[in-house]
Amino acid sequence: MSSDRDSILSRVRSALAPLPERAALPDWERELVIMRNARGAVDAVALFSERLVLVNGTPLTSAADLVALLEKNGWRRGYCDPALWPGLQAAFPATFTVETLFDRSRVDDYQFGITAAAGGIAETGTVILTDGGTSRRLAALAPWVHVAVLSRRTIFVDVPEAVAALGSDPNIIWCTGPSKTADVEGILIEGVHGPGIQVALLVD
Amino acid sequence: MKFQQIDQFAANLRADTRESVHSGSKAGHEKRTSVLFDHYADPNRLRQIAGEIKQHVVENLDTYLPAVEARLQANGVIVHWASTAEAANEAVYSILQARGAKKMVKAKTMVSEETELGHFLEKRGIECVETDLGEFIIQIDGDHPSHIVKPIIHKNRREIATSFERHGLGAYNDDPETITRRARAHLRHKYLEADVGLTGANFVVAESGRIVLVTNEGNSRFCLAATKCHIAMIGIEKILPRDRDLGLLLNLLARSGTGQQLTVYTEFIRGPKAAPQEDGPEETHVVFVDNGRSEVLASDCREILRCIRCGACLNVCPVYRQASGHAYRSVYPGPVGAVLSPLLAGKQFPELADLPKASSLCGACNEVCPVNIPIPDLLLRLREKGKREGSEAAAAATPPMGAWSVMATQPAAWKLAMFGGKIMNVLPAKYIPVPALQAWQAKRTLPAWRGGAFRSWLRTRAQPAADVRSAKSEG
Amino acid sequence: MLNHERPPITQRRVQLMATCLCDAFYDDVARATVEVLEHLGVEVEFPEGQTCCGQPAFNGGDWEASRKVVRHTVRTFSGDLPVVVPSGSCAAMLFHGAPLEFEKESDRASVEALGRRTWEVLDFIVNGLGITSWPGRYDAKVAFHRSCHSRGTGTGEAATRLLGSIAGLTVAPFGEGEQCCGFGGTFSVSFPTISSAMGGLKLDHIRAVAPDALVSADMSCLMHLGGLAEKEGKPIKVLHAVQVLRDALRQGGLI
Repeated sequence: MSSDRDSILSRVRSALAPLPERAALPDWERELVIMRNARGAVDAVALFSERLVLVNGTPLTSAADLVALLEKNGWRRGYCDPALWPGLQAAFPATFTVETLFDRSRVDDYQFGITAAAGGIAETGTVILTDGGTSRRLAALAPWVHVAVLSRRTIFVDVPEAVAALGSDPNIIWCTGPSKTADVEGILIEGVHGPGIQVALLVD
Repeated sequence: MKFQQIDQFAANLRADTRESVHSGSKAGHEKRTSVLFDHYADPNRLRQIAGEIKQHVVENLDTYLPAVEARLQANGVIVHWASTAEAANEAVYSILQARGAKKMVKAKTMVSEETELGHFLEKRGIECVETDLGEFIIQIDGDHPSHIVKPIIHKNRREIATSFERHGLGAYNDDPETITRRARAHLRHKYLEADVGLTGANFVVAESGRIVLVTNEGNSRFCLAATKCHIAMIGIEKILPRDRDLGLLLNLLARSGTGQQLTVYTEFIRGPKAAPQEDGPEETHVVFVDNGRSEVLASDCREILRCIRCGACLNVCPVYRQASGHAYRSVYPGPVGAVLSPLLAGKQFPELADLPKASSLCGACNEVCPVNIPIPDLLLRLREKGKREGSEAAAAATPPMGAWSVMATQPAAWKLAMFGGKIMNVLPAKYIPVPALQAWQAKRTLPAWRGGAFRSWLRTRAQPAADVRSAKSEG
Repeated sequence: MLNHERPPITQRRVQLMATCLCDAFYDDVARATVEVLEHLGVEVEFPEGQTCCGQPAFNGGDWEASRKVVRHTVRTFSGDLPVVVPSGSCAAMLFHGAPLEFEKESDRASVEALGRRTWEVLDFIVNGLGITSWPGRYDAKVAFHRSCHSRGTGTGEAATRLLGSIAGLTVAPFGEGEQCCGFGGTFSVSFPTISSAMGGLKLDHIRAVAPDALVSADMSCLMHLGGLAEKEGKPIKVLHAVQVLRDALRQGGLI
């Protein structure tokens, strides 16, 4: 492959050599991408919840509300990040089967997956998952319901702020609402390969 | 050849296909426009700056490519280079062979469409499953995508339901939700069984080595959650200078492509997973693909390398809406394809030199482009190249300009022609053996010929226009 | 994309580029241009040697042929007077298209100089002369098609502003107003299916508002749309915006 490397770089160099000058890298102000309705003082938590609803996500503020949502839909089997379970266990009645080990040979056995979010983005209703903070990539993806446990203190106002805070985690994913497609006749269908229900459980 | 190939394709297109393409692309454009203008006071400023950033990258690839390579390697990514489509496919295959891999899942990537990776691997006994719903349907149908973002924009639910039935994915059911659930159930086991997940990249950032992927369905995430090896095939032009530029480009890409603020999944990959994470690749490979791009870079159409594959120019294009993507006979359809496809064809340029003609030059593509590519100018340059290289495809049904240019440079001849044209008022068009005139008359009437009437009025009117005499020195 | 810096208008004297379409078919449009400009106190010169702006060959890819015609046009329109054109398309050819095909030519500067003093007529009236409302009267409902070659220029806004200010005149907005009419020069004859389908969609939207006339700043679009409509047996009246301006002056007894 090294010969391909050298020949590509050599072709690129000779393609650019005749240019009398090269286009400069422009700088740009963050103001440029701040949305009209997000100017001025913003209550990040309130905006986050509002926007999450707009992308058909579900903001919740207590473990009891989460349990009620799961009960109502009959979703009683799931996974929970072992680090989060001690804090949530008390809210879950004995009718639930919650595992703290995710077995990838039985992905369809988990109706919900509860994992930790590393942060959120208010203007888009996005939850941020990192490899360092999320116990299992699969547990946040394969079950029908994904519950991201999100601290109110970690919500960024907008995309540029969240980009600035990306850091060095090997894998970061921003999830904005449930998985979806419009491939068939442009009709919106949620829950394609990932969750059909995206919950953000806001905690302090 | 009576008319241009793309026009013939449009003439033979099934009415329901045209309707699917027309309504799908129109809806996409309208959504894009309302979201951008609702959200931003001056979306055009965003497009201009994004265009300048990408133009800067294009014109500095000689320094960015080695820089991004070094950054990726520092992050633990194995970097490969491929001059050609064949070399790119071989690079992927050799990674699979080294791992003894037999099964691969792949997310949507346009560069793998260019290299026809799927066919290449299947011939070598690798199961290669497309996981994007649209691309999966394309794969089971043995079809080709007809839109960059919406690969099956040309299909309706009944056709899809028939394909699913034929492929053993349940009895005929054309409910989109049922179709989606069946694909979900079928494909999740493919991810879990696969050895390798292959994706493209929307951006790769020079300063951090982040590979950025945007999707809505979650399929690329599943590829990267279930398999132990990730391969990203990336065109050499996909670089962004700084992480902060993502704040601009991500905002533009989603809005331009699908009318969303952000796509559902935006993934930032720096390399293999790190403990304690159990899921995800232990090995990350990047294959940088040239496949004609360095030639485009050397041409006077290098602005097309700014393209971020959002599909907005397809959605707005009135020609694409009538002709559909398959009319373009290449991986990239629509306005961007009409520029990029003939250029990427290299020596086969003349065969695709008719694509740049498939435009009324209305300029709508430039107006929506998130990186402000002057597409009409590039189409014009390629028309000139097609003419200079004597492409037959480009010349089809194009009126010759020789006689016109003689008349239009000799005022006496011009005035004579203005007078002589009156014959059209008396002689039916079918007797005038000028193909362009007949093509015109097949669909429209011509107004009455009044050649020279304005000049006569100017000469004879009571109050002559100021100083006609001074002008007479001309010509 | 097409906007260009032009020197301010300091004297009321211009050269008229009538366009080949007006020379061959639409003499009254060229005449209305003269009458409107003269009403505004602008002296109009008509360089007799003028033919065509060179656009057909430029768009068709035959730049060698096109450059010959552009060079002829540059010679014909010598001097430094503003050149006024009743066509957004021909104007754009001179200030955008011609410089593009002369990028590598030694006489590029003279082509660019002509481009810099070229004005589409409505743009000239509003942004050159600073006239923003129109006297007289015109009793009609019209649909205004902003031709594609005036994208990014002052023409569209200038036209709607002037037309909108005429007593008795209503400009009726119609659906998908930004869409191309499908003409596209040689495109109309090498892609007749697509071209006419595009025009058909445009006509559907226009007919939906039942205008008395379809108005534009480009006779090429109007020749296409008017020709399609007539071929279908459902003709529509087409007018260049300067004809409306001129007729408003007449109906108001101002000329």
